Amino acid sequence: MINFEEIKNQFDKDIKETKEIEKLEIKYLGRNGVINDLLKKIKEIPQEQKKSYGQKVNELKTSIKRLIEVKRKELAGKKSEVFFDKTLPGKSYPKGSLHPITYTIEEIANIFQKIGFVRVSYPEVEWEYFAFEALNMPKDHPARDDFETFFINYPKDKKYGKIVLSPHTSSGQTREMKRVKEPPIRMINIAKCYRPNWDITHVPMFFQFEGLCVDHNINITHLKGTINYFVKNFFGKDREIRLRPCHFQFTEPSFEVDVSCKVCGGKGLLNNKKCKVCKSGWLELAGTGMVHPNVLKAGGIDPNQYSGWAFGFGPERCMMMKEEMKIDDIRILYNGDIRFLEQF
Amino acid sequence: MNIKITHNWLLEYLDTDATPYEIQKYLSLCGPSIESVTKIDNDFIYDVEVITNRIDYASVLGVAREAVAILPMFDKRAKLKDLASFHWTGENGKRTEKVEIVDPDNLCPRKLAVVMKVNISKSPQHIKERLENCGIRSLNNLIDITNYVMLEVGHPAHVFDYDRVKTGKIFIRKAKNGEKITTLDKKNYLLNSNDIIFDDGTGRIIDLPGIMGLDNSVVTEKTKRIIFWIETNDPKAIRRTSMRLGIRTAAASINEKNPDPEAAKMTFLKGIELYQKIAQGKVISPLYDTSPDIKKEKLLVIGYELFGKKIGIEIPKKRINSILVNLGFGINYLEDSRIQVIVPSWRANDINIPEDLVEEIARVYGYQNIPSILQPIVYIDQPKDMEDIFVFQNKIKLLLKHLGLNEVINYSMISKSMIEDGGLKIENHLRLSNSISEEIEYLRTSLLPSLYKNIQDNSGRKEVMRFFEIAKVYWLKKNDLPDEVYKIGIATNTDYFDLKGIIEAIYKELNIDFCHSREGGNPDIIEKDGVFMTEIDLQKLINNYHQVPKFKSLNPYAVIKLDKTFELSPKTTYAIVRQKAFKSKLLQKIELVTLFNNKLTLRFYYSLSSRNITEEEAKEELALVR
Repeated sequence: MINFEEIKNQFDKDIKETKEIEKLEIKYLGRNGVINDLLKKIKEIPQEQKKSYGQKVNELKTSIKRLIEVKRKELAGKKSEVFFDKTLPGKSYPKGSLHPITYTIEEIANIFQKIGFVRVSYPEVEWEYFAFEALNMPKDHPARDDFETFFINYPKDKKYGKIVLSPHTSSGQTREMKRVKEPPIRMINIAKCYRPNWDITHVPMFFQFEGLCVDHNINITHLKGTINYFVKNFFGKDREIRLRPCHFQFTEPSFEVDVSCKVCGGKGLLNNKKCKVCKSGWLELAGTGMVHPNVLKAGGIDPNQYSGWAFGFGPERCMMMKEEMKIDDIRILYNGDIRFLEQF
Repeated sequence: MNIKITHNWLLEYLDTDATPYEIQKYLSLCGPSIESVTKIDNDFIYDVEVITNRIDYASVLGVAREAVAILPMFDKRAKLKDLASFHWTGENGKRTEKVEIVDPDNLCPRKLAVVMKVNISKSPQHIKERLENCGIRSLNNLIDITNYVMLEVGHPAHVFDYDRVKTGKIFIRKAKNGEKITTLDKKNYLLNSNDIIFDDGTGRIIDLPGIMGLDNSVVTEKTKRIIFWIETNDPKAIRRTSMRLGIRTAAASINEKNPDPEAAKMTFLKGIELYQKIAQGKVISPLYDTSPDIKKEKLLVIGYELFGKKIGIEIPKKRINSILVNLGFGINYLEDSRIQVIVPSWRANDINIPEDLVEEIARVYGYQNIPSILQPIVYIDQPKDMEDIFVFQNKIKLLLKHLGLNEVINYSMISKSMIEDGGLKIENHLRLSNSISEEIEYLRTSLLPSLYKNIQDNSGRKEVMRFFEIAKVYWLKKNDLPDEVYKIGIATNTDYFDLKGIIEAIYKELNIDFCHSREGGNPDIIEKDGVFMTEIDLQKLINNYHQVPKFKSLNPYAVIKLDKTFELSPKTTYAIVRQKAFKSKLLQKIELVTLFNNKLTLRFYYSLSSRNITEEEAKEELALVR
């Protein structure tokens, strides 16, 4: 009978003492080594034990091989006189970058997904009708001026008017109402928008994200609740919101949303000096309000049965506020400068 | 727009115990946003943001009216002081002069005018100081009064030199195309037939009403007699002319928002009073008011239950009533908990539907007193095609980032020269009819011109560049909106196989077979000045995507690996060799071992899942590939 344990013990002893790993390897794994001897002896083993014998030899062989490799590395390390500097950087792997707004958009979509809002996509190149009329903005509204909206050189449609580059994501509101037909609606629309301004504080293309909720008995408490939820999740639990009166054609009432300033903690003062980041402790964040009855009607929804709220935020502003990014010239976001892009 | 007023000025209209900082805080929460309070000598300057539909509070009086409604909610005393001075109490002197007002097309609905004998001088110190604290340059008493009353009461006003108008006539008409004017700041403008002007009856233009006075009729140091003048305007016409000519005066900003015609009358009376006080003014003509009965009562009916329904909390009826009254609304009580609300003249433009009244109650009651509650969560079905677009964009963006590429976001609009340089046809592109720059004139139909430009623009900043962008392109359609198609664009300044490897990685990540065609593979790679570029249709990738590759059962039989070297030529390309080799049923895969000059060594893996094959069998199969 062969005592595998004994062989293993002997090996453990040998490997502890050895300085020349090659010799040990030949002794155990060589052509005439211990393992091969064991394999040759298989002939002498009774038929019914052959399988288990073979397995045991294999296990031993694997274990010896592994231990020899470990020892080999250990010896190699010891032999080397060269200083091993663990503080050197590791192997370099490629690291690209995403545009910072991409991260912001993903985060926003995820925050709203958790409370049941679905993300949609609607035309950026849009009919005047959806960009304005459907949003309760009549023909002579100033936002429809040449200097507020980009128009496309294209024949007018009898029903829908001219083609414009959508100046806001709100154009998706009535499109979503028409798609869903019967509320409930819980929509989040994040898309590119366009307006004819191009200077250090404006870019002709920017992003917006629009929230829309329509259901039975939706009221101002729900709008506040949702914005509060978003602000706490996106900016932090310690941030507060406030609503101030404002005016938009497609909401009534309309509000401006402010978020408390992180730098001065909403006090407006920092070391007894006026906080440079905010206006008296608050930062303007978004426009919002209760969906105007005319907008619901345009979307085919009965304003006597349903009500809703809507908001529009600028993700660029959210991003810069959250990350405390001080961008002197907003145009850097979209001019493709690698020195900017590769930082993210 | 923003206006500046001072605290002491406000106190001339408002009786209150609130401090300037309390006024700032409470008004900002419930009404006009007071962006800052600045202490100066014995006064405080408020910087007030005026939202577009609330031009009624762009004045000291307007802010006082808001304060009367808001401050009591914070237990502060607030009462409007007596407005007696808005009634004409002037003496009946000699009325020898007159103004002839002709407006055949009723271009200005209300005209107010008076001729006065005056003494021009510097304004008294307190007027001068107030104006300057409020950001308005003080010139002389005659001009300063117009600005002062505008800021105090809310309607723009104008003063002409009566003797420079010459004819004593004001004829209101549309300009003729090509007519020229010189404004009082000595700038020249060319008019068109949409512009409304005043003519002195001889064809000579003497005013650009509601926007700016003209050099030929404005008061000078020699002025002895004036026409103090106010007109109400067509707000659209004011905006159109003022924007086109680029004359953005305070008057234009107010007039384009349709201020209250009643405020015009009050401003007028206040102005006359001031001319008497600080310019020794004597009225020497009748007081003209072309529409003394312009005031129209606007009525709205609303049920109390609407307030609770829209706001989400019950506000007591008594509270609602007192807020409305403090805001200047009148109330008639109807049966069934309904009220008829009488809208004051200064709110006639912005209060149109019951929801507007809900806003008034909610804001004055205080949004800070309304709780935050998430609406009930419901399940909404998201259209799969919309979901896919976002999920796959993100998946691919992350992959490309981990491969070391940099994401860029470019404008959707590009220049004509970018289209032409990219070998694309201008006529396939939608053009902006009012672009603000040649650089952003056309909607792009490909991402590549932008990416090519990114690499050019960054030259010298970085050695190796690999950019990608995922965005829509816009494909022209007949009689409809363009097709908005998502594309993945990639550009590198490295080499052909670097880019091809990136494309293959995307396909592998999405478990899509990469098509090794004779042309070099799908999609095409374009090279231009050392920039390698490709564009992939996102939807096509989504359509061919597999979550995991097709499962193959583990092969228990031996795999025979054979290497073979080929001399590459147009007739022996990798794609051709591959195509030939895969005719064998035994071939599992091919690996590229080395490429040296045009010597390509490939490794072929042969096996069968049903039995062991011999080396000879494999060699026979490989021998067929040559």
